[in-house]
Amino acid sequence: MNGFPHFDQFLTVADRDGALAETSSRAEAALSRRGLLGVTLGAVGAIVFGKTSVAEAADLPASDVDILNYALVLEYLQASFYTEAERSGALSGATARAARVVGATERAHVNAFRHLLGSRAVARPTFDFQGVTEQQRPFLKTAVALEDLAVEAYKGQAPKVRSNAVLAAAVGIHSVEARHAAWMRELFGITPAVSAFDPPASRAKINRIVASTHFIVSRPRMKARNKPHFTG
Amino acid sequence: MRLRGPEVGQREDDSPGEASSRRAVLGTAALAGIVAGLPFIRGLFRLGDALGSPSKAQDAKILQLVLQLEYTQVAFYEQALAQAGLDGELRAFAEAALAHEREHLAAIRKALGAKAGPKPTFDFGARTKSAEAFRQAAIDLEDTAVAGYNGQATNLTKATLAAAAAIVSVEARHAAWVRAIAGEVAAPDQVDTPMTAQQVARSLGEIGMRTQ
Repeated sequence: MNGFPHFDQFLTVADRDGALAETSSRAEAALSRRGLLGVTLGAVGAIVFGKTSVAEAADLPASDVDILNYALVLEYLQASFYTEAERSGALSGATARAARVVGATERAHVNAFRHLLGSRAVARPTFDFQGVTEQQRPFLKTAVALEDLAVEAYKGQAPKVRSNAVLAAAVGIHSVEARHAAWMRELFGITPAVSAFDPPASRAKINRIVASTHFIVSRPRMKARNKPHFTG
Repeated sequence: MRLRGPEVGQREDDSPGEASSRRAVLGTAALAGIVAGLPFIRGLFRLGDALGSPSKAQDAKILQLVLQLEYTQVAFYEQALAQAGLDGELRAFAEAALAHEREHLAAIRKALGAKAGPKPTFDFGARTKSAEAFRQAAIDLEDTAVAGYNGQATNLTKATLAAAAAIVSVEARHAAWVRAIAGEVAAPDQVDTPMTAQQVARSLGEIGMRTQ
């Protein structure tokens, strides 16, 4: 639909089985609210990372920190998307319930990663969801695309993770994202499991797709850059 | 495949906590008996969960575990489709899941070649005799598959991990799908808890896997 050129491009790229290639509804105002997710670190941090504390995380290989920050940006994207949809009040019935449950989970993932990364965590970007959080069908269609994307992203990174603690956490989150994808697909009315094997996607591909949405309107920065430089 | 019309959005059973509470709680005494009677399985699942460093030999041991999982799933869906009187979306789910599990089984048998362990026998009891019993058992079985694959992730070589990752998310999709069909919360946990090989053995035994 003309109202969402970037969104349509996103769906075209992300739409593996063509099921999403139908009309998306138009919504007028694009929101650019910053996510204000005041969720405390819950049980997920403990379950996900077990005894791995922030101090221990300091020993993580730089490549794992990089992967965790990449995953964190995707989790920020998802968490903000569900939070905004919930706040819009546009969802009803089983879809509203699913958005609540999935949103709480994505926020917990964000908090778990932020906890683990400490000061090395990238900051939350600012998002503009182009109005798709304001109507149920565009919301569901986008949720399907974002969840399928997350599954592909985690799958692409899992074999590259070096720390066993991070790998165990990543696979436990990867399968939850797959459950979300199936749930949103079922609610949208398309098959929840397209084929026997889910493909992975490279970071380059994921980044291209995310960039094409224009959902992220500011680039995440390392928190550390905002701190005063030592100049002596 | 279009599974359902727009009215799906109206379904709401207001019992978000129900899904997790209904998951199988594995009774220890009964299961100890079942597992004790299965020498092949016992040997198979003695596979520790703190194994050595990933290696091709270790991958093969783990694939034997996964083989039993996939054999069980294929047999379960075949029997249920024949006997449980499935219709509507539940039947569409069972048919799709069976097709996927057959592909998984074929891939793992191919990977193991001549070393592939024997096909177990099965006694699913009432689980494949009615739609509701089937639905609950399918949730247990798919959750077991997810937890079983996830539990071995750090024990696998990276190449085998990549292959397993392509399968585990499909099992997770099945688990969510069959929950969603009944209007349950389809993703009750924020992170999936892994199972050890021993726990997978117990769970499969409870669902109905037997040896020859």
